[in-house]
Amino acid sequence: MAPDRRGPVLWAVNREAGARGLRPGMRLADARALLAGLATARADPAADRRGLERLALWCNRFTPWCAVDGSGDSDSGDGGLLLDITGCAHLFGGEAALMNEIAARLTGLGIEARLGLADTPGAAWALARFSPAANGRPDVRIAAPGELRTAIAGLPVEALRLAAEDAHLLRRLGLITIGAVENLPRTSLARRFPCRERGSAVLARLDRALGRQAEPLVPLVPPPACLERLSLPEPLIDRAGLDAVLARLMPELAAALERGGLGVRRLALWCYRVDGGVVRRAVATARATRDGDHLLRLFQETLETIDPGFGIDLAALHAERVEPLAPKQLSLAEGGRRRGDLNLLVDRLLARLGTGAVCRLEPVARHRPEQAERAVAPGRDPAPWREAPASSEAPATPQRPFRLFDRPEPVDVMAEVPDGPPLLFTWRRVRRRVARAAGPERIEPEWWAGTGAGGRDEAVRDYYRIEDADGRRYWLYRAGLYGDSSGDTGAGGPPRWYVHGLYG
Amino acid sequence: MNTSRPISPMRVGSPCDDTADLAALRRRIAALERRPAALEGATVGSRAGRPWPLGVDTLDGALPENGLASDGLHEAAGASAADGPAAAAFLAALLARRVRTGECGPVLVCQSRGGAARFGRLHGPGWRDLGLEPADLLILRARREKDVPWAMEEGLRCGALAAVLAEAESIEFTASRRLALAAAEGATPALLLRHDELGPTSAALTRWRVTALPGSADPFDEGAPGLPRWRLALVRARGGRPATCDVEWNRETGGFRMAAALADRPVTPRAGALEASRERCALGSG
Repeated sequence: MAPDRRGPVLWAVNREAGARGLRPGMRLADARALLAGLATARADPAADRRGLERLALWCNRFTPWCAVDGSGDSDSGDGGLLLDITGCAHLFGGEAALMNEIAARLTGLGIEARLGLADTPGAAWALARFSPAANGRPDVRIAAPGELRTAIAGLPVEALRLAAEDAHLLRRLGLITIGAVENLPRTSLARRFPCRERGSAVLARLDRALGRQAEPLVPLVPPPACLERLSLPEPLIDRAGLDAVLARLMPELAAALERGGLGVRRLALWCYRVDGGVVRRAVATARATRDGDHLLRLFQETLETIDPGFGIDLAALHAERVEPLAPKQLSLAEGGRRRGDLNLLVDRLLARLGTGAVCRLEPVARHRPEQAERAVAPGRDPAPWREAPASSEAPATPQRPFRLFDRPEPVDVMAEVPDGPPLLFTWRRVRRRVARAAGPERIEPEWWAGTGAGGRDEAVRDYYRIEDADGRRYWLYRAGLYGDSSGDTGAGGPPRWYVHGLYG
Repeated sequence: MNTSRPISPMRVGSPCDDTADLAALRRRIAALERRPAALEGATVGSRAGRPWPLGVDTLDGALPENGLASDGLHEAAGASAADGPAAAAFLAALLARRVRTGECGPVLVCQSRGGAARFGRLHGPGWRDLGLEPADLLILRARREKDVPWAMEEGLRCGALAAVLAEAESIEFTASRRLALAAAEGATPALLLRHDELGPTSAALTRWRVTALPGSADPFDEGAPGLPRWRLALVRARGGRPATCDVEWNRETGGFRMAAALADRPVTPRAGALEASRERCALGSG
């Protein structure tokens, strides 16, 4: 049931109601007149769409190329799934066996489905929806290869996925079936429509159904470059079983990658549960690899988070992102003790601690110390640090602290006015007497960041290197200037002091 | 080996025999108590066997092989909570010495969130001012404290790192033993900064207690801080003996130097000037 301009209308009906004469698009009042005890629910097309997408994910168990039918958004609200089973049928024992298995599994999930199989998506769509019940299973229709034309010739013109008005026009012209439309010369068919666009649209639909024009499917999930799957006779319900399955799949995948000269950057494990759910867990690597043992170790951390539910009856490994990787040459020199690889270490750390846990530092051309460096992911090469100044110029005394606070910590300071170094300061509740001080080193914001509305954050900073009486060293700064409550430096009010870093 | 026979006081007279006996005993004890795997195969000797001296005779003499073993766990802690940065800088200086002796490669630095909040995160320019290359840093920021020992172990076992440096709030004996074993397996030194002032037991080969000391003045500026200076107390050394020494770290020479006695510290001329100018002081608002 869905709202309309003139009251609610039926959006979809079940088989029982259909048998009593109810049709989608009918007014609710009319439907109630036909069937007094009609139970209704509000239509939710978005949820329907999500449900279809979930089902499409689940259908990845049959073929990696699954799409949600985009053309099915007609007013009837019936969506569909398009599965490209090219090269997959033999895994299930032929096309008929595959179709029967899909039908049986869908029925097992409590989903009523009509299946059509043909050489083109358009013809399969037509067969699934408009073909009369064939012998054998009533909900599966298969057009054998090459018999596409005869299979759909007898179907009504609506089966061409036409707009409602076009189908209506064709019926008024006496063209009831697809065969009749096809037998008409193309030019004369196009001429019967009031405008050229509608005519060519009908011809395009016809061409696509008959395979004269290509109709690419956009898969919901990009098909992996490499895939290994294992169907399990008995559903798995524990971690040990998953380990065993992975240990069997991984060498096969590694061999397949080696044949293709590929290495994997992102590998996903898809677990299909018997209740129709799909669990996907992915691991990423810093460099392309096909080292099965290493990839297995990466999965160890994530396997625990897989909820098998009522059991997993199919597991598949998808190599989702691959890169060319030259075959490995085992060198004679390293035959003895094998040195570990840094990339493998990084992968293991990231797999357990999450992305972003490991980084390298890279210099950035900014004035503020906290902005002058940046963390980069270990996969990328960081920008080079400029050479350290020649030793004749730079004093051996550390100029910058080796520990820097993310947030400078405010301190109470007694200092000479206006620009003397601190004499006494209180940091973390401890009063510290200054024994030595060097500075100030003025660090101004960049000109483009200078006089913004950021207030104190953009004030001039004067940094001092401080050593207290106990020999501990601090990097203090004063934000703003004394006697400068307004003006160029941006900060209003008296200056404030902060500890920004610590020396050893 | 003839070490089973007791060393009688009668034999003290011949010094040659004594040294040979002592060396044999040392070897035997070393074989008994640590690194049996490292000793039986000579192949690892090229990398793991070489100790790594501090360059200060007082300390090196106290260590079993005149240097730090490069396949073990070494711990340091500040003498008080405020000396934590000094201990961290000391460990960084140890690393810098190791790099100078030719052992280069990436260094894994493990920090937990809590550790970063306590003394701040690593800062590349300052890291270089201690004599190390920021490009070699591989920084790990663990969300949970308990991930730090795990990450250290992984890094140590991997064997591709020059060293693993980490800081931990506290670490139990079992965990430290695991770290020591991992360090021996990967022939990679593990340097651990402890925030809990050296707990009761540990499997570390050496444990250091570090105190910050007032340093010398900058040679170019009397009032400015100069080279960092620490009091290093070698609290425990397996196969060695405790020692204490005041040292100064110079990143240019890449060496520790025994610091001049505290009494030699020159009186800062600034101190008097500062006293006189107290009237003009302003109290900054926190």
